[in-house]
Formats: sequence, C-alpha cells, structure tokens
Amino acid sequence: MSNLEEKIDEAKKLSMQIVKETEADRLMTLSVGPQHPGSGHFRFVIKVDGDYIVNVDPDPGYVHRGHEKMCEYRNYFQNLPQLERPALHDSSNILYSYCLAVEDLVGINVPRRGQFIRAIASELDRLVYTQYWLAIYGIFLGHSTMFMWPAGDRELIIDLFERFSGHRVTHCFSIPGGVRNDFPYNFKEKCLTQVNYFEKRLKEYEHIFYNNPLFRQRTEGVGILPKEDAIKLGVTGSVLRASGVPYDIRKVEPYDIYDEIDFKVQHMKTCDSFARSYIPYLDMIESCHIIRQLLDKIPESGDVRVKLQGNMKGPPGESFKRVESGRGALGYHIVSDGASRPYRVKISTPSFRNLIALSYLLVGSKLGDMPSIYWSLNYWPIEADR
Amino acid sequence: MNTASGFIKALESGTKHLFIKRFTLRYPEKKLKFDGDGYQFDPKRGVGIAGLRGRHILFHDKCTGCQLCSIACEGIAEAIGMVKIDEHWKQNKKNIMPQIDYGKCVFCGLCVDACPFYALYMTNDYELSSFTKSSLIYTPSQLAVKPRYDGDVEIKIDSKGANHG
Amino acid sequence: MGSITPDFRFGNLVGSIIQLVLVILAIVTVLILPMIFFTLFFVPLPVVNGQVLTPYLFFSMVVDPSRTLPIVKFLMHTALFKAAIFPGFLFASLIAAATIFIERKLLAKMQLRVGPLYAGKVEGIFQLLADGLKLISKEIIIPSGADKPIFWLAPVMFVATSAAVVSLIPVAYGWVVADLNVGLIAAFALLGFFPLIALLYSWASNSKYPFIGGLRALHQMIAFEIPFFLSALPVVILSGSLNLTEIARSQHIFWNIFVMPINAFVFYISSLAELERIPFDLPEAESEIVAGWLTETSGMIFGLIQLGSYLKLYALSALFVILFLGGWYGPQIFPHELIPGASSSNIPLLKIIALDGLYNAVTVNSIFWFIVKTFGIILLMLITRGVNPRIRIDILLHTGWYKLIVLTFINLFVVLTLIYGGILGPGGMILPK
Repeated sequence: MSNLEEKIDEAKKLSMQIVKETEADRLMTLSVGPQHPGSGHFRFVIKVDGDYIVNVDPDPGYVHRGHEKMCEYRNYFQNLPQLERPALHDSSNILYSYCLAVEDLVGINVPRRGQFIRAIASELDRLVYTQYWLAIYGIFLGHSTMFMWPAGDRELIIDLFERFSGHRVTHCFSIPGGVRNDFPYNFKEKCLTQVNYFEKRLKEYEHIFYNNPLFRQRTEGVGILPKEDAIKLGVTGSVLRASGVPYDIRKVEPYDIYDEIDFKVQHMKTCDSFARSYIPYLDMIESCHIIRQLLDKIPESGDVRVKLQGNMKGPPGESFKRVESGRGALGYHIVSDGASRPYRVKISTPSFRNLIALSYLLVGSKLGDMPSIYWSLNYWPIEADR
Repeated sequence: MNTASGFIKALESGTKHLFIKRFTLRYPEKKLKFDGDGYQFDPKRGVGIAGLRGRHILFHDKCTGCQLCSIACEGIAEAIGMVKIDEHWKQNKKNIMPQIDYGKCVFCGLCVDACPFYALYMTNDYELSSFTKSSLIYTPSQLAVKPRYDGDVEIKIDSKGANHG
Repeated sequence: MGSITPDFRFGNLVGSIIQLVLVILAIVTVLILPMIFFTLFFVPLPVVNGQVLTPYLFFSMVVDPSRTLPIVKFLMHTALFKAAIFPGFLFASLIAAATIFIERKLLAKMQLRVGPLYAGKVEGIFQLLADGLKLISKEIIIPSGADKPIFWLAPVMFVATSAAVVSLIPVAYGWVVADLNVGLIAAFALLGFFPLIALLYSWASNSKYPFIGGLRALHQMIAFEIPFFLSALPVVILSGSLNLTEIARSQHIFWNIFVMPINAFVFYISSLAELERIPFDLPEAESEIVAGWLTETSGMIFGLIQLGSYLKLYALSALFVILFLGGWYGPQIFPHELIPGASSSNIPLLKIIALDGLYNAVTVNSIFWFIVKTFGIILLMLITRGVNPRIRIDILLHTGWYKLIVLTFINLFVVLTLIYGGILGPGGMILPK
C-alpha cells in the first residue's frame, strides 16, 4: 500500500510542477527517438533537469503492424510465418505458445519425440536471443568487444538451427501438431560439441564484462525495483527474478515435458540493474544443462508430428497458454467460433508488461543511467508493439 | 584491490584473444557446406526431411496443376501464381504450373508441405539476387533447373578455438 | 570479390591516359608555373657555401654527385622542412594514420574478426585513403541557426592546436620544431585550449545533444588537467629544467618511471581523459547523446577532427615517453657507417650510397627508439579501449578531483625525500647529467 501509492501522489504533484517549470525554461526536453543509437525501435521523451531525469513519457507504437488483426484472415497454419515476426530472434518460443494454445483448442496430443524436439528448439532459441540482447547491452555501455563476442558466439547456435530447421533465424519450425521435420542423422554429436564449446566461451564474459569494475560501478545500485513493487507492477521474466521472486513458468505451470527436467530457477536479491543484467547470463548456463538433459532423454525414434489437415476447423471455444520465453511470460489467448480461421487472437507479450517499470525506474536517476536501466528491462520494441 | 584485480583480469582476457584464430567466414571466396539436398516433404508420412530452405525445384513429370501450393501461399505471401505452359503432360490436364515470385516469397516452405504429389521441393541455392524486379519471377521451366552449389566450409572447433574452414 | 567489373577495352585505357595528361598539363599551367615565376621574381634566395642558390645552381649541384649530399643536408635543417615534414606535420600525420589502421586491425583481432580487408591488396592497407576520399566527397550540412564562423573555424583550430602541441616534441637531439625553454608549460597551456574549442563548437551547433556533450567535455577535460601537470612536477624537480630536450637528456642513466611509477600511471589515465578515448569518451557517448559534441559534423569537418584527435594521441604518447621513459635513449644498434670505409675512400658514388655526412648513427638510433617506445604506449592505449566500457560522469569527476590528485602527491613526497636524502638530483649519488 505504502510505497507505490506514495509514489503515485508524488508523481502527480511533480507533473504539475514540471508543467510550470518547462514553461519557465529550466528543464530540457530530449526525444530519445527511434532514430537514435541508444533506443532501438522505440521512442520515449524525457525531461532533464541538469543531469537528473524528471519525467519520462514512453511512446510505443512505432513498429505496430497489426499482427492480431491479421490472424483473423488466415487459417491456423497460414498464421505461422507472420506470427513469428514480432520476436524474430526468439521465434521458436513465440510459436511454441501459439502451438500449445491451438493444440489445447483442437484437442490433440503431440507424440513424445516431437515434444522433446520442440523443447530443444525452444532452449536453443533462448540462447540465441539472450546473446543478441547481451551484445546490444555491451554497445549501449560503449563496450565494443562485448558487442562482437556474443554476436560471434551466437553463430555457433544459428549454425545448428540451419542444420535441422532449414533457416538461420526465421525457423517456422514448431507447428500445431509437433514439429515440421525430424533431426538430421548426425545432429546429436554436433549439437553437443557446439553447445559445450559455447558454454566454455560464456565463462570469458565474466572476466571482461561482469567482473569489470567499470561495468559494476555503472550498474550496481542503479535502478532498484523492490520486491513488492515488482509484484504489484506486474513485471515478468528476468526482471521479476532479479527482484528476488523465483518465478519461472517452466516450474510453475509445466508444459510438454518440462516436468521431467531438473534445473534451477536463478534469482538474485539485490534488485538492481546489475542483477537484471546477470540473470539472463545465468539462465543461459542453465539452458545449456537443460539441452544436455534433453538430448540424453530423447526417445531414439518415433513420430514427430500429428497429421493435420491444412485448413482444419477449430471447435468453438477458447484457450489460453503461457510459455517462458527469453524475456518472460508470453501468452496466447485464442477464441474460435468453429471456422477454419480464428475469431480473435490476443498475444500477451512480456515486453509490454515490463514497459511500466521504465517510467517507474527512470524518474530520479541520472541521464548517464538511462541506457543501463532501459535495456536491462529486457525490452524488445517490436514485440511490445506487435 | 578488488578493482585492480578486476582490471588486470579484463586486460588479460582481452590480450589472450589476440592469439585465438579469427572466426570470420570469408564469403564469397568461401561458402558454407550444407548436408543434404534441401527441404523435402513426404505426404504419405506427413513429415518433412531436414534441409536448407532455398530456391524451389519443380518436377514437371509429377505436377498435376492442383493449385494446392498456390492456395497455401495465398494467406502468407501470395508469391505463387499458376500460369499456362506449352508442354503437355499426361497427369496435368489443365496445363498449368506454379510460377514463384521471389520478391515476395518468405521461404517458409508451407507450399512444399501442401503438395501431395512429390512435385515441389526446396534446394540449397540461396543466391538469388538480380538487377531487376521482373527477373525475380521464376517461370516453371526456370524452376525445373537443379542448381549447382559447391560450398565446402563448416565450423571447426579445435583446441585453439572455433573457426570457419 | 562479389562485384561485376566491366570488360577491358583498350580505347578506354588510352582515353583515360590522355585525360590524365591533359589534367596534369592544366594544373601545371594554371598553378605551378605562376608559383615558379613568383618565387624567382619576388623571394630572396638563400646563400649556400658562399654562392646564391639560384635554381640553375641548384640543379647543377644536384647532378654533381659530390655536392648533392650537402644540399640535401642543408635542406633538411631548414625550418620549413622541420615544421612540415620531419618531426612536424607529415611525420605526425603518418604516425596518426598508422595508428588508426593498427587500431582497427588490433581491435578486430581481439574481437575474433577481420578488420579492413578489401581496400588494397595486402589486408586492407589503403582503407584510410578510401575513407579520406569518401569524407572529402560528402556534403557538409550546417544546421539552421548555427553560428557559421565558429562552425567553420573550430575544426581548423582543433587541428592547428594539435599540430602546435606536436611541434614541441623533440624526436632526437636537435630535431625539434620549436625549442622553447618553457616547453612543458607551453604544452600544458596548449592542452588547456581544447575544452574551449569543444564548448564553442557544441554551442555553435544550436542543438540539444551537442550542448550536453560540450558541457561534459568541458567538465571532463578541466577536471583532469590538474592531475596531468601535478604528475609531471617531480620530473621537472629532478631534471631541473622545463625544456623538453633537457628533460629527455637528463634520463640517460636511468628512466624516470623507475622512481615515479604512480605518477606515470596518473599521467596515463589523465591523458586518456584528455584524448576522450574509451573508457573516458563521455563527450561522444553514442548510446546516450548521439555522438555528443560531434553530432553535427559531417564530411571533411569530421575528417579534420579525427585527424586532430589522433595527432593529439601521438603528441601525448610522445610526451609520456619523453617525461617518463627516457626519451630517445636506447642501445646503439645502427652501425657507424652504412658501408664501412666509405668516408675515407675516393670514389664519389660510394660516398653517395653510404650517405656520407648525412647519416648520423646516433640520430638514426634515437629516432628508431623514440618511435618504438611511442608505439608501445599507443598500443597500451589501444588495448585499454578494447576491454573497457564507458564510465559515468559523476564517477569520472570523483576520480579526477579526489583520487588522482592524492596519488600524485604521494609520489611527489617520495621523490622529494629521495632528493633531499642526497640520492637523486644534482649533487646526489646518481648524477643525472
């Protein structure tokens, strides 16, 4: 009750004061817009008093392409290429959730080997996305080596994707009913070699980035999001876990075969920007363990896909399913009225949920902290705008 | 002392990388190798066969002109249109075959999944750039040509690091 | 490579050669001939060896082998040669160009990738030339409401000040453009001019992001000037003079860095801050303020500022070498004569090939060791760029005003103790001169 309400009252008083002071020419309005090397495809307007940020006005919508409306004009299989575009680097996860929702609606059971392959693709995509996120984090803080190393090591995993799904980034691999094709014949050894080497490369990042005193000075104690406020604001994913709440959908509502896999949910209690930047790195190491367990336990042979008609009709009803993607909880809510096209598809993305923490955290911090707070919220602008 | 050791470790890690081999793939002098012949689909079993999703290949002696590939693509990219051809095949009563516009195709491969007659596959060829938009539209006879692609470089991981080729 | 080159046609080759010849003829007629006539009519000619050096005498001396070398030696000691070519502008520009190229390749190797590769046959060695040509050909965009005189003048002033700092640096004994008796103070005074240029330029750009960047540049450079010259203070006390040549000559027994390592470290950090290099490149922080006070530069203005920045890098590394690393002293590895026995023989051709009278083994040795040590310091600055992120403004000001000044005072007291204890300095056990 206390901290959040007080902050809201303070913000209201402050906004009246800001209106008066902007007219008095004391504050400066900066537009950190889409054409800015520090913001991605996202615009927010900040008012600055000297070096301190006084007001933040996020303005999403630059990349809004109407994915939810487009779903109503395509049947369940034709929706796949356009639905994987909002989170292109993480495409297996954003399609995983859709496939689970459609399978729940229609009522089909995916064979066991297909479930394992889907989980392996999802974990590999988590690695790919987090490396890209780390690379951009490095360049926001001016560390050009930290941009090149993750971008280069990401190639090891993308090479694996090229072998079994056919494409480097836009896989379109998990579909309702399973996966599109089985692994190639020598995939398991290659996967283990490259994932092991990838994990060895991850240890280098500790020396040059996470234990670098300059990086620690910039992110420790910056942008503190206390535990109660994090739960009240409804943030999800690594932001929530960095504030001390060990919440991971793979453990809370296990889907497919995640109840048979043994892994730790990484969380830290310091609630600052350093924790938010360290948790995805620890998650990557956990994903490597998960991939090794999955490759151990996968059944040697079996079906990978349930044969479905191209324009199948969904029975009337609705379904909602959530998946833990690279950024947090990604959910699909599908409403169908018996036709071969869905009646309404609602995508609930973690980036849009985390956006509210931006205005909460940036007010009162220094201008130099803006990149480290903004990007540590794991915000992907295209996914938030859909 | 913590800060000093942090800096020294960072410097050491940086200079260590001066002696590791470079990771770059020197395209176009060297090209990547792909296993297999491209993405294919088996309609009897209902699953695909893993491979690179590049340019399509159309087998003229199997295509019946059923338009299922075009219908599948209508909701995705509208890249396949059916055109009349001059050849006469026994199984192709209407004498039509697909023509693919690579300016619009997203290479998702759902058209390959839709073909029930083993006629449309995808190959290893991905170098499809041209100087005009109209030459990106591949006619059925252009689609029948099997491409020649010889790449021979892949990622090698040894004791000194990973590198291409 | 992946480009399509047109087929070779002989007519095109002949046409382009003729075009080249015509352009050269035009330039010679319009520019060079008037210059020659101007020189012949209006400039008083110097006197060499008791004769007025007319162009005819000059050419006949060049052709006569026994008199070529004294002419070359005379030319090399004129003020124009020293200021423009060696150790002046051209030499510093070549080192700056080599630094930029080495920086790109070194960072690329550290990041496991290839740097410039395709410009020039050998690993992209002409990349800088290509970049320079590209920058010259771009349009210079001036924002509306910008202050035009300052906008055009500030980059030129930047390069001029950097070149002025370069002109104070002695490369070998006797090879300095401006041999001032207060050389060190002159260097610091010139370095104090740079924050003013940054502030003027950012204000003249009439835009918000350059304004923030200019203020940051001002705060940063002023904060680090005090540790900068406080760390050079014990050097002056030890050598007893402010002349840079004398400071270098006073280290011929031992280098100053063995006595004052902390001060060398503080000088290094302060010079990184003066140069606006990572980890101190806040004024140009790309992700927060879109290139800071350099936002509105485009085309050749950007090229001039890069040139000035790298000239300053060479100048400050050379200053570090002279103050702390013993200047140009090193083991003599060049032989006394290029061809042994040439100066006492009677064959003029042998004398010319052996560069008799022109080649001074000590000088060449000094230049060689000076360049080696300067490149060593530059390499250290480049590697620091590769492994560190950017620092924040309040941590930077805290470091500059508190920590570094305290460190310089510690080392100052150590040096003063050694001097009054009779170990160092004039009259001590280890004599500097």
